[in-house]
Amino acid sequence: MVVVQRKELTLAERLYLPEVLRGLSLTFRKFFEKPITRQYPEEPLPTDEVTRGQPRLVVKDDGNIACVSCGMCEIACPAYAITIDGGETDRTIEREPKKFEIDMLRCILCGFCEEACPKDAIFMSNELELADYTRAGLVYDMEKLKRPKSALQRRIDYIYKLNNRWRSKP
Amino acid sequence: MTKIQINGREVEADPKQPLIRACHDHGGDVPMYCYHPGLTPVGSCRICQVEVAAAPGQPSRVVAACRTPVSEGMVVSTDTPKAHDTRRECLEFLLKNHPLDCPICDKAGECDLQDYSFNEGQGKGRSSEPRRKLEKRKSLGDVIVLDEERCILCSRCVRFFSDVTKKPQLTVEGLGSRSVINTFMDKPLEGNYQGNLADICPVGALTSKKFRFQARVWNLSKTLSTCGECSRGCSISVEALRAKEVKRLRPRYNAAVNQWWMCDTGRHAMAPITRPLAPEGAVLGGRLRGAAVRGYNGLELADESAATALAADMLAAHPGALLVVSPFATQEEATTALELARALKATPHFVSPAANNLKDDLLHTGDPCPNRRGLTELGFAPIEPAAALAALAKAPAAVLAGERVLEILGHEGLAKLPTKLRLVAYDVETSDIPALDVVFPVPTHVEKSGHWVNVDGHRGVLNVAVPPPAGVRRLDANLAQLARKLAATPVGS
Repeated sequence: MVVVQRKELTLAERLYLPEVLRGLSLTFRKFFEKPITRQYPEEPLPTDEVTRGQPRLVVKDDGNIACVSCGMCEIACPAYAITIDGGETDRTIEREPKKFEIDMLRCILCGFCEEACPKDAIFMSNELELADYTRAGLVYDMEKLKRPKSALQRRIDYIYKLNNRWRSKP
Repeated sequence: MTKIQINGREVEADPKQPLIRACHDHGGDVPMYCYHPGLTPVGSCRICQVEVAAAPGQPSRVVAACRTPVSEGMVVSTDTPKAHDTRRECLEFLLKNHPLDCPICDKAGECDLQDYSFNEGQGKGRSSEPRRKLEKRKSLGDVIVLDEERCILCSRCVRFFSDVTKKPQLTVEGLGSRSVINTFMDKPLEGNYQGNLADICPVGALTSKKFRFQARVWNLSKTLSTCGECSRGCSISVEALRAKEVKRLRPRYNAAVNQWWMCDTGRHAMAPITRPLAPEGAVLGGRLRGAAVRGYNGLELADESAATALAADMLAAHPGALLVVSPFATQEEATTALELARALKATPHFVSPAANNLKDDLLHTGDPCPNRRGLTELGFAPIEPAAALAALAKAPAAVLAGERVLEILGHEGLAKLPTKLRLVAYDVETSDIPALDVVFPVPTHVEKSGHWVNVDGHRGVLNVAVPPPAGVRRLDANLAQLARKLAATPVGS
């Protein structure tokens, strides 16, 4: 059998009102402090080069896609989110993707694709939002994934810096 | 047999074969680029070097295993540091001018050079000179593209034409570092065996135009199968992208039939197995999606069991039916067709189109019936398409069964048949044949399992490489069902 020892209340506590005022004082003090919450959709989350958002494909400065559809990201993807079909081009690099699809509902934003890519063609962008009315709409095709190189430049520089740490010194 | 020692084990080796074969047979892991078991060894790549001593205790030296004959009592080590170092140095020279093309190269994933440099090579090149700049896309005829930069000059392709087809067409042109592979007088390659070059090339220098950039090889599922283009029945591997879409057909080694080779006719016979489906709800204009019966508006999709019942009733009401199966029918399908022949009291026939002019000394037999021998052994009589059409025009009813049977009989001839003929067909695709009453879909030969018997009596196996479209049942199941229904309602009742 458990005997609960009740605390003997003081007079101020028994009067009730002083305690209410003490609590309200905290509430009113917070009015004058800087808010720690965010007006999310209007005020987006801050991102930087470390942010691992959704993967995006690099379009080089000459307007061509950097991807050669080698299939490394497809095979590295632990969630089987990527599907690539390659084809021939007339450019010096003879291969390019005819179909490049990322199922954003499957993507777990792990960044393995970025790590596996031998051609610097896929990078994790700072885009985080993902909403649609249909599942099919979230299977992103090549047109939805393409981004100019300048839009991803911060991340590219960051990854190069990261990799350079492991490269042997000349 | 000669007794030798490989990596400390006493083994028996065939003295007629080079040392590399003995190494491979007894667990020695020796890489090879220029050596191919089907070609004369030349020892040009030097990657198969192993350490050999004439006898135990004798001084050893490093030799190319593909050019060294087996001799009594020799001591071979494939794994010593000396052998590894020599091979690694050779590899470094081979990689000196080999471009870092793996992301775009079709060979990546099944490339001997890639595999061995992954296992043994060093991560960095030590050379400071630029690599050779050569032609990346040199067309050698209709089948093969040559990438001169990737070539390691192993000369397998040169020897393929001189040893296997006996019509030399390729040569190593130029001297020293300027050597490249070229055809004589820049003429395009000829013959029906060019596709094999893409298979035997140990790197990605010779690639197939048809397969170029179609798929990454690790995404291909490989299924053992048999080629259906002639009665040779070469053993092949059907390779399908993500186990859905057949992308290429490649020979697989079979000492009794085709060894390592296959003709281009068989290699490129993709049209019959990659036929598009008919539009949703339609019967014509592509592969059949389900059973169809003749209604007021021509052929209409129908329930399979209702169509079988209708076919059985029709055949029972019109005795004297003709049974003609396709030359692509497997032994299993033909056995069920015999059951149907007994129920129909018909003589079993198979369509046997005339020989084509593709016959050669190597593999192609010129006979387009892959299962001629098997069907003949089961008691099927061959019948020419023209004779079959003449017999059909007189018959009261007929069953045509098997992949491509309508196509082989000829859609034009079939369209002229009298409409009073009760015609039941089992085929992958049909045209608008007025006499056709009931038609059932069948799987193609890469969508079913079974056997064919080739011209020499060798049984070739068929396996399911890609799933048949929804609603397509096995032909033997369909024929057995029809035979059972007919047995229940005897012919002529």
